[in-house]
Amino acid sequence: MNSAEEIQSAYIDYVLTKGTKPASVYVFAKDNNLTEEEFYNFFGSFDGIEESIWTGLCQKALTEVQNQEIWDQYSSREKTLAFFYALIELLKSKRSFVLYSLKQSGQTIGTPSILKGVKNLFESFASGLVDQGVESGELADRRFLTSKYKDALWIQFGVIVNFWAKDSSAGFEKTDEAIEKGINVTFDLFGKSPLDSLFDYGKFMMNNGGMKPNVKF
Amino acid sequence: MKEQDSIPTSKTERSAKFVKTGFKVGGNYIKHYSKKLFNPSLTKDELNLDNATDIYTSLSELKGSALKVAQMLSMDKNILPKAYVDQFSLSQYNAPPLSGPLIVRTFTKYFGKTPSDIFDEFNIKSTNAASIGQVHQASLNGKKLAVKIQYPGVGDSISSDLKMVKPFAFRLLGMSQKELEVYMTEVEDRLLEETDYNLEIRRSIEFSEACKTIDNVVFPTYYPELSSKRIITMDWLEGQHMKEFMRTNPSQELRDKIGQALWDFYNFQQHELRAVHADPHPGNFLITPEGKLGIIDFGCIKEMPEDFYYPFFSLTSTDMLKDKARTIKAFRSLEMIRENDDAAQIEFFYRLYKEMIELFAQPYMSSTFDFSKTEFFDKLYSYGEKISKMPEFKQARGVKHFIYVNRTNFGLYNMLHDLGANVRTDTWYPHVDVAV
Repeated sequence: MNSAEEIQSAYIDYVLTKGTKPASVYVFAKDNNLTEEEFYNFFGSFDGIEESIWTGLCQKALTEVQNQEIWDQYSSREKTLAFFYALIELLKSKRSFVLYSLKQSGQTIGTPSILKGVKNLFESFASGLVDQGVESGELADRRFLTSKYKDALWIQFGVIVNFWAKDSSAGFEKTDEAIEKGINVTFDLFGKSPLDSLFDYGKFMMNNGGMKPNVKF
Repeated sequence: MKEQDSIPTSKTERSAKFVKTGFKVGGNYIKHYSKKLFNPSLTKDELNLDNATDIYTSLSELKGSALKVAQMLSMDKNILPKAYVDQFSLSQYNAPPLSGPLIVRTFTKYFGKTPSDIFDEFNIKSTNAASIGQVHQASLNGKKLAVKIQYPGVGDSISSDLKMVKPFAFRLLGMSQKELEVYMTEVEDRLLEETDYNLEIRRSIEFSEACKTIDNVVFPTYYPELSSKRIITMDWLEGQHMKEFMRTNPSQELRDKIGQALWDFYNFQQHELRAVHADPHPGNFLITPEGKLGIIDFGCIKEMPEDFYYPFFSLTSTDMLKDKARTIKAFRSLEMIRENDDAAQIEFFYRLYKEMIELFAQPYMSSTFDFSKTEFFDKLYSYGEKISKMPEFKQARGVKHFIYVNRTNFGLYNMLHDLGANVRTDTWYPHVDVAV
């Protein structure tokens, strides 16, 4: 027992067999022929292990898609889709743990602590995509709103993972559909829409169309 | 081509799409009649065109089985006015594709590898839609391949799609709900079969093997090891679709050759295999640079049971029609005349169905038939028009097998007409020696 991965799998095995967290780090370490000190060299707490498993999966999904030959040709929308498909595929290998972990973290408002690492990772990924999209004109640059795009994508992350947790279709095919639709809707909203033109037109008329209200500057 | 941003897949979303079309079609009628108020000479052509465009736009956004129904409607030229047909024919070629990552996803799911790992080259942009899937170009070991990928969730949505198409078919074709029921079940069965790519690849191999002796017909090689439940890989056939082919002004000789290949392909299957490629729309065929007919889709196969085959082809290909009693007996076994019909009804349906069979059988009556002549088709259409106005035909008649057998044969006739081909019709003849 001398690597982070081994501790992770021992922990997963424990919670899935017993249905609950170990009573203490002391007990868990002893069961696995570790000293407490050795345990703390890797993780600060049991939640820390869970967080690292999630972050690991997310990181792996990212690395996997970014290594695909086609990655550079993808638009922001396609990159996001590709990431989610890869993530869901990876989650499948640890489905029992993921379900356990989601259930344990409960229905809290905001991000559960075990997903903090994932959130950081995902947000920096999403910000990069948004920048790329704005630059290429794929996404509309809206004052105040552009910086919120990544939050909307994080909400999609939650929706998709929860949808998958409840999905009982063969091969989780429904989740594939949920990803395709959800991400497309989100990116449609990010893109230039008639509302942008309308807003722009309104602004123009206000300034030039003789509708200018009587204000002094 | 622009990629479609979203596909309405949930039932409510899809319903909304249909409702929207309903409104639009309703609006087109209002537009038509208000215009007509000022211009009484206005024909219904413009109205039909407006309707067809709206319905097509709506259906092509829906994809999947709805698109399939659009294709099917467009086959029945003898039922639908010309304007509908022209618009619906579009659905036989292109529909918007799905996202690249979902294609990669489908591959990793079934093969554990991305398309670029499997193939030397793979074009992530699809070249055309295959109604429940899309086709991509790829290459492996110097061979050019066509890879057909199915949309996820297609099977699930077929039944609910058909339920929503019903009111439309009802309005378009003027059929009653009850009459549709018999056929809709049949259509649903065939469509569900079509979503099973494992079945399709098995059949493709079987049929292309069985039909390989037919002159001037070519099939792609299929690769079962590169195929799965949602993916079919086959050789890429070079060639032109019928419309493009006709634009090149082919010689009469070449048109006859292609037409003959089509005729032989269909009649060999009907009479030798008793199961037929029942999707004769131009998108499933290519004319190769060598002047041969390429056949690229075996998704829809209609098997003909004996209790349909014998009565039906005895009517078309023997002198049975001259014998009224035997003809009526055959009509009864095909449920064209029903048990509780009274004497007047029997006489009425006997007369009209006899006329239909005579029309249908006309190409078989001589050893060659010139499909370029419009008289035959005018007669078919006017017959269709005539019976569509008869209240007697508002109810269900005929066994369910008719829907695909008619679609196949009239589809074949229409393609031969479009080709303007003169073909020998005595090459593969019905086997009806067994007495009925």
